[in-house]
Amino acid sequence: MKILVCIKQVPDMESKFKIDGDGTWYSPGDLVWRMNEYDEYAVEQAVQLKEKGGEADITVLCIGPERVKETMKKALAMGCDRGVHIADDSNWKKDALTNSAVIAEFARDKNFDYIFTGMQSQDRGSGQTGVLLAEMLDLPCVTTIVDFVFDAGAITVKRELEGGIKAIVKVSSPALFTCQLGLNTPRYPTLPNIMKAKKKELLSIAMEQLQKIAPRQETVKMFFPEKKGGGLVLEGDSADLADQLIKILKEKTTVLA
Amino acid sequence: MIFELTEEQNLIRDMVREFAETEVAPTAKIRDEEERFDRALMFDRLGELGLTGIVFPEEYGGGGADYISYAIAVEELSRVCASTGVTLSAHLSLCANPIYLFGSEEQKQKYLQPLATGEKLGAFGLTEPSAGSDAGGTRTTAVKEGDNYILNGTKIFITNGGEAETYVVFARTDKNAQKHYGISAFIVEKGTPGFSFGKKEHKLGIRSSPTLELIFENCSIPAANLLGDLGQGFKIAMKTLDGGRIGIASQALGIAQGALDLAVSYARERKQFDMPIGKFQGVQFQLADMATQTEAARLLVYNAAYKASKGLSYSMASAMAKLMASETAMQVTTQAVQVLGGYGYTRDFPAERMMRDAKITEIYEGTSEIQRLVIGAGLLR
Repeated sequence: MKILVCIKQVPDMESKFKIDGDGTWYSPGDLVWRMNEYDEYAVEQAVQLKEKGGEADITVLCIGPERVKETMKKALAMGCDRGVHIADDSNWKKDALTNSAVIAEFARDKNFDYIFTGMQSQDRGSGQTGVLLAEMLDLPCVTTIVDFVFDAGAITVKRELEGGIKAIVKVSSPALFTCQLGLNTPRYPTLPNIMKAKKKELLSIAMEQLQKIAPRQETVKMFFPEKKGGGLVLEGDSADLADQLIKILKEKTTVLA
Repeated sequence: MIFELTEEQNLIRDMVREFAETEVAPTAKIRDEEERFDRALMFDRLGELGLTGIVFPEEYGGGGADYISYAIAVEELSRVCASTGVTLSAHLSLCANPIYLFGSEEQKQKYLQPLATGEKLGAFGLTEPSAGSDAGGTRTTAVKEGDNYILNGTKIFITNGGEAETYVVFARTDKNAQKHYGISAFIVEKGTPGFSFGKKEHKLGIRSSPTLELIFENCSIPAANLLGDLGQGFKIAMKTLDGGRIGIASQALGIAQGALDLAVSYARERKQFDMPIGKFQGVQFQLADMATQTEAARLLVYNAAYKASKGLSYSMASAMAKLMASETAMQVTTQAVQVLGGYGYTRDFPAERMMRDAKITEIYEGTSEIQRLVIGAGLLR
C-alpha cells in the first residue's frame, strides 16, 4: 500500500500578523511555524491506516522554503516513512492550481493508493489543493472527512456537510481524502521517534523541475478589516440592566416594536 | 557560537509543550491543593512519550538525545507544573544517571533499562537529618555480611520517595576512613525487607511531588548492588548532583517562564484607568526585567547542558545555571504576583503556586549558598 500525505507549514495562528511590504501577504518576520492543523489529521489518518492495513509506505510531501523541513520532520516523527520537499522560496505567491499541478506531476507515476490532505490551509484557506490534485490525477475525491474506516480493502468514510449533517461514503482505492477537524486526535511525536526521524529519507526537488504551468491567480491586496466600534457594555444591577436592554431593543431594533 | 536550537530540539519543545498544556496543566492546581501525585500522568505518560530516558543511549532504552533536549523537557513541564518537572528531574538526573555513569553492564541492564523506558520510577537518597549540604556527614551505615550489605539509617526529604521502585542510596561503609572516603553508593529496590517509608512532608510548594523519609532497619541487599567502587560514594554523589543541577535549573527556568507568560497575558487583559495595565510603563518595566532575567537564566542553563552533552567539564557551569535560574524563578514569580495584584495573591490564578514552587529551587540539590561555594572554589582552584 502506498500512501501520500500532503502537508503545509503555516504560522501559529496565535501569532501577531503584519501585512508584508508589498501588501499581498503576511510578513514572515518573527512568526512561529507549525503544521497546518488539518494536515495533522491527514498525517495521523495515514499512520493509522498503515497500522491497521499492515504493509504500507507513507510519503509526506511539502512545498516551501528550507524551514518547512522542520514541519516535515514532525510528520516523519509521527510515523511517515519518507519525505519529499519541493523547494520553493516564494511559494506564497503561487495559487492552489499551480501547487496541485506540481504535486500531480510528482505523484502521477508513483501509483499512490491513498492520498490524504487537509481540507484547507489555516493561512490561505482556499480549500482547493486536494480537490484539484484529485482531478488532475483522475482520482475520486472525498472531502471534509470526519471518520475513516478501512476494512479488508473497503473504505467507508463519514463526511461533514453543512448544518451538522453527516454523510456516509463508500469508496475504493485509489482515492484522495481531505481531512476535517474531528477525524482523529493527532499523536504526539515521541522523543525516540523525533530522534529517528532525522535518519529517514528526505528528498528535495526544485519547484521548477515540476512546475509546468504558470499561476492563473494573483492576490493583489491583503488587508485587515477596518475596525468597527466596540460593543456596548451595560452596567448596573439586574433590574437596571433589564430596563436598559429593553429600551435599546425597543429603540434600535424591531424585536420589541 | 551558535544560539539556535536544532530541528530535533524544537520538535521536542513543541511536543512537550503541547503535552504539558493539554494534559498536565489542567490538573496542576487541584493536585497542588490535594498534595496528590498522579503517577499515570506525571510519570507513566512521560515514559510513553520517551521522556524518562532522554539522554541515555537507545541500547539502554533511552532516547539518545542530548542534555539541551532534557533541559527543554524539564523546562516545558515546569512551565505549567513544577511538581511534574521535578519528578522527571529527580528520576533521570539523580537515579538513572549515576547508574548510567557508574553502574556495571549488568546493573545497567537490570536497573537503568526499566528506568529509562519509564517502567520504573527512580529516586535518590543522600540527605539525612545530620547530612544535608554536608554530604560527608552521612550516618547511614552499610556493613558487609557475606554476599550482602546490611543498611541501617534514615534518609529525609526524598523526592519521588515511596512512589519510586529504584533508589540510589548513600551509606557509610568505613567508619575509620576520612569522612569523604568512607561512603559508598547502593541500588536499593522498593519492597526489600527492612526498607520502609516514614512520614510524608507537607511542603510550601511542589506539593504534587511526594517527599518522604526512607528508613533502613537491618535492610539486607545483595553486595552486587554496590554502585561503583567501595568508598567512591562521595564522588558519585557530587558527580550526580552536578547533573542534577541542570535538571533543577531547568525546572526553575520553566517556573520563571510560566510566571512571565502569565504576567504578560494578564497585563494585556487587565484594565485600570480605562486601559490595559500593560500600557503603563511601570508595568512594562517590570515585565522587561522579568523577561531579561529569564532569558539570561536560559542561556546559562543551555550552556551547562551543552557542556554536559559535549563531555566538557560542567560543574561550575551547572552551579552558575542553577544559582541564576533559581534566584530568577523566585524574583520573577514574586514579581508576577505583584503584576497580578490582588488576583495574584488568590488561588484563582497560578502565580501564587509558582511563587511557592520557585522557593525550593533555591534550596534543594545544593542551596544557593552551596552553588556559590562551588563556583568560588572553582575560581580559586
